[in-house]
Amino acid sequence: MILDLHLHSERSDDSRAPVEAYMKILQRKRAERALDGIVLTEHRQFDPSRDFRDLEDRYGMVILNAAEIETDYGHMLVFGVNADILARFDFTDVRLPAQEVVTEISRLGGIALPCHPGRPNVGLCAHYESKSTLEGVVAVEALNGGSKKGEDARVAELIRERGYAAYGGSDAHLVSFVGMCATEFDREIRCMDDLVGELRAGKCRPVDFRQRRVA
Amino acid sequence: MEFDRSIIGREYDRADSEAVVAEELIAFAKAVGETAPCYTEDGPDLVGHPTFCLRYRGRKFFPDNLPKGLLGRMSFDAGKDLDLGVPIRPGDRIHVSSCVHDLYEKTGRSGSMSFVVVRFTLTNQSGEHVATIDNRMMYR
Repeated sequence: MILDLHLHSERSDDSRAPVEAYMKILQRKRAERALDGIVLTEHRQFDPSRDFRDLEDRYGMVILNAAEIETDYGHMLVFGVNADILARFDFTDVRLPAQEVVTEISRLGGIALPCHPGRPNVGLCAHYESKSTLEGVVAVEALNGGSKKGEDARVAELIRERGYAAYGGSDAHLVSFVGMCATEFDREIRCMDDLVGELRAGKCRPVDFRQRRVA
Repeated sequence: MEFDRSIIGREYDRADSEAVVAEELIAFAKAVGETAPCYTEDGPDLVGHPTFCLRYRGRKFFPDNLPKGLLGRMSFDAGKDLDLGVPIRPGDRIHVSSCVHDLYEKTGRSGSMSFVVVRFTLTNQSGEHVATIDNRMMYR
């Protein structure tokens, strides 16, 4: 099963992509990017009332709801956001304490994973140059659809050094970029609990659709 | 940066325009390359191009009580969001109410950024909603 674990809709301040537009593109581009679903990771917010069941039924895809937050070690994706996590952390804070985020979110039933770790300023690699290793990091985003030259290579080195598991995401803010990078799982993912379980076990691998074009 | 979030949503300026005339609606439409007759030909069906509303603002763009830490910092227009209501027609008088809609920080490749979203709410002489314009300004 293949999911794009990292993308933004019009709820994020820097995207204007309607969720249904992502569905339409994936439907049309199925030969190039054979995804089974997406996970919305809006910037610095989480709305538990978002309901995608109608879209899921219409398009036959899984649509899950997560968040991208900002910490003192860069950005992280938070999967399995629940009321306890929202009460514990203010997602609008751009300087959340990363070690507390990783540890507490895991304790509270979710998982926080560094994203675009090779990116300057907001990636884990930059912070590891001067700070101690974060305990409890299971996986990092090995493939990010918005990566610039050299960033993926930095991440590959990080993964080799630290033994992290790897996942992928498009980081799409524009509709056409959905699914450029994604994550493959061996078991079926039907809900967020399934996803958190597989991520915690590191049972995932990144998939790169950026070079695939169908004539 | 510490923001006084109590300024959010509070009107800090209001202004009323002179009556819109057909000539300025037509001139604007042609200037932006529009060719549709409803925007470029005088008559009972003439309406203002959707982006004509962007010319309206209050007497000042920013409130006097923006966070002091923003003053003197580099800034640029980070885009506008328009929510359109009824079209503007010749003879309309546009009322503009201004407020700070949002203040937030984010981090990116190039470092930290602060954003101020200034909202102009436009109504016509009948109280109908003409447009809501969110102006996003980025400070570094």
